[in-house]
Amino acid sequence: MSYFVVNENCNGCLACVEKCPANALRFQDNGENRTILHNMARCVRCANCWRVCPQQAIEFQHFMENEWDEIISLGLVHCRVCGEPIYTADLQKTLTGKIGSEIEDLCPKHRELDFAARQALFLSRRTA
Amino acid sequence: MIVADLKPLGEIAESISPFQKVSIVACGGCVSVCLTGGTASADALARELSHPRQYKKRPPIFDTTTIQRQCEKDFVAAYLKIPDDADAILSMACGAGVQTLAETFGKVPILPALNTSFLGSLDEPGLWREKCQGCGSCVLAFTGGICPVTRCAKHLLNGPCGGSTNGKCEISQDVDCAWQLIIDRLKVLGRLGDYEKLFPIKDWSSDRGGGPRSMQFSSEET
Repeated sequence: MSYFVVNENCNGCLACVEKCPANALRFQDNGENRTILHNMARCVRCANCWRVCPQQAIEFQHFMENEWDEIISLGLVHCRVCGEPIYTADLQKTLTGKIGSEIEDLCPKHRELDFAARQALFLSRRTA
Repeated sequence: MIVADLKPLGEIAESISPFQKVSIVACGGCVSVCLTGGTASADALARELSHPRQYKKRPPIFDTTTIQRQCEKDFVAAYLKIPDDADAILSMACGAGVQTLAETFGKVPILPALNTSFLGSLDEPGLWREKCQGCGSCVLAFTGGICPVTRCAKHLLNGPCGGSTNGKCEISQDVDCAWQLIIDRLKVLGRLGDYEKLFPIKDWSSDRGGGPRSMQFSSEET
């Protein structure tokens, strides 16, 4: 997906390429075609390209409103009582390794209820 | 954003003349937007500084690199790589970036290529104007969104001085009187009554008078 979008007014004049302070635009003349390329990692979003374009061809709104790119998808662990997603299985594994004991699959609310129930049971046994 | 000017070439050349290999490190943040940082400006500066006319002896050899934010120490330490044989670094960043490099590269001399000018905004293509002094105690809510601390030469908070003539400041006919702008704006907003309210004496301790300022988030916030 490209963030740098031009409309049909673009005539390949290269004003944007020449005025980009970040060298984030370049062009290639191959055979019959001129291709303009954009490098998002270099781009500082200064909008100089949009400002200098004599054709008003640059649709800069795509830099501000765009789709979300998926970075990674990881398996979830859900609360065993209510089914609310609580953390990823990988985070559970990391935390288990760090604290040295298993973490219960409970959301904060049910962890609290579970703790209160255990406490009540403990106290009732103690007083019995 | 922070606006900075390129120093005169002669001044830069003089500062780097004792060195054989100089790394030009441009910032890819604010100053690249005002065309004094960024990759294109760094390459152009390297070309200009490579000319022998700038030096009594041989010009240094240059390499150029750009890092997105030169003012973040951990980021710079992790991602900015300069050649091992670089004798000096010429920083194309604001003063915060230059000092971050100095703290990061302890044994390499860091030289500024820019004069950090002001906090400003782009009013027209190619024209930046100062709009904020970072005084630490913003009054814009009461002045129609126009800052008297920055835009009045005397930093007046309760109306114009006697030097305001036809909406211009006495220091120059090219400078608008900030208080004229404020009054005009308050009229448009239907809030001219605010002009009658007196500002109490401003506490300047949040400005530079209180020494270098800092801000720290708690570990939860960061």
